[in-house]
Amino acid sequence: MSDAAGGLKLGQRVPDFELETFEPAKGDFGTFSLAQQIAKKRWTILFFYPADFTFV
Amino acid sequence: MGCDVVTVSTDTKFTHLAWREYEKELAKINYPMGSDPTGKLGRMFGVYDEGSGLTLRGTFIINPEGTLLGSEVNFYNLGRNIDEMMRKFKANVYLAKKTNEACPSKWKDEGDKTLAPNAKMVGKVHEALND
Repeated sequence: MSDAAGGLKLGQRVPDFELETFEPAKGDFGTFSLAQQIAKKRWTILFFYPADFTFV
Repeated sequence: MGCDVVTVSTDTKFTHLAWREYEKELAKINYPMGSDPTGKLGRMFGVYDEGSGLTLRGTFIINPEGTLLGSEVNFYNLGRNIDEMMRKFKANVYLAKKTNEACPSKWKDEGDKTLAPNAKMVGKVHEALND
């Protein structure tokens, strides 16, 4: 997973990951984890963008 | 629909907070803002740019089993069409229930024409789409 040119292919299982988050709905920090999404049987859309303070 | 959107950049959660408070365009956006300061997640999905330390505009759809079903990457200077993103998401949810069907390009929502590929359709997709 260290190869920047690589990347997951469609149909592959995504390795578990965790992110620290800011959650506007709660006005607080939190964490997001794929394992939790799977446990809750929820879909995930990951939306990458270059940087804060730019357009999305 | 049982789905969570998470936005991700290499900024810290503290910068996310500051940007969310400052930028009026974000006032109504309530998705959790994920922080990937080392680019680890961006590398996993192939969108991290080692040269700039930024991530490209990638959108990824993951099903409730953790399988990657959708992937779209735009360069820095091209914004995404949210309608198309939602169309793909809805199609993935629909296809998870209807595993023998396929959603053609014009499919927008449940109830729209789908295809059920079979031997009779070979060479007859036009008829199948327009009957």
